[in-house]
Amino acid sequence: MDPLFIWIETTPFSTWLRESPSLWVFPFVLILHTVGLAFFVGSNVAWDLRVLGFSVGIPLDALRRYFIVMWAGFWVNAVSGVLLLIAYPTKALTNPLFYIKLSLIALGIVLAVRIRREVLPTERSGEVPAIARTFAIASLVCWVAVIFAGRLLAYTCTRLTVECVC
Amino acid sequence: MLDEVLKSVEVYLRHTPQGEFLRDAKWGWAIFESLHFLGMSMLLGTVGVFDLRLLGFAKRIPIAALHRLIPIGISGFVINMVTGFCFLSATPDQYLYNLAFRWKVTFIAIAGLNVMIFYARTFKRLLETAPGATPPIAARVAGAVSLVAWIGVMSAGRLLTFFRP
Repeated sequence: MDPLFIWIETTPFSTWLRESPSLWVFPFVLILHTVGLAFFVGSNVAWDLRVLGFSVGIPLDALRRYFIVMWAGFWVNAVSGVLLLIAYPTKALTNPLFYIKLSLIALGIVLAVRIRREVLPTERSGEVPAIARTFAIASLVCWVAVIFAGRLLAYTCTRLTVECVC
Repeated sequence: MLDEVLKSVEVYLRHTPQGEFLRDAKWGWAIFESLHFLGMSMLLGTVGVFDLRLLGFAKRIPIAALHRLIPIGISGFVINMVTGFCFLSATPDQYLYNLAFRWKVTFIAIAGLNVMIFYARTFKRLLETAPGATPPIAARVAGAVSLVAWIGVMSAGRLLTFFRP
């Protein structure tokens, strides 16, 4: 994989992302990734809490609008995440935890879509199916794991770039 | 004068049990940081979602029903005050003289003041607005101030490492 990492890290774009002294470059991408996380995971937390019965007065049909917030957060983080990856490809791709994090995000999205499919047809009766509750608990656990995996990336990396250790 | 006060706060915090614990525990910092991000998501997932509703997003959700999620957000905030105070105690010099930290505290103060004004003056009137109606202007302002303040808190927090003294 090293030739690929060297190629990415020596492109002008990657170098600029990594080395620009401006707060509007690397720090700004980090800020986007953090604010995106808060809205992406946050709207999932709100959904899971509603499905688990924390506030049954919230109409599920109306809460559906918060899927827009969830997807907006997702896309902000997909784009900012790719930028972070272009800046430090070796750091992420040589860390097994990075692949665990991506898998957990995929699982979290699948769960969110499944939950929506399970509960929306039950809107009239107001009875949330048991399977949806199980998915909601799994979803909460999954997002906690995503946050831990993401944060621990900074503590478990072995190589920062092809030439530098962490 | 201010420098002397900060210096004595720095020396005091450095020797508190929570400061010593976080400096010495091997995975302590990583775990506390993860908890700090978790608390942030709990806060934005409930208070942030409520703020968007105040701005007129998803108007059919009754305000009172959505407000029942707020205790989860308060729990998130408490987690972050506790973990945040531990970070501050462990390496006080990294925060007390850091411009980004001062911004962060300022934004938290703005959010706090906004919450107080909201509950003292706006909340009762807001509960009387029918589902589907546009919230009163004071409520929309409170929602906007809250969102901007929390995004400011997160941004300043992320900038801490770039403003190390």
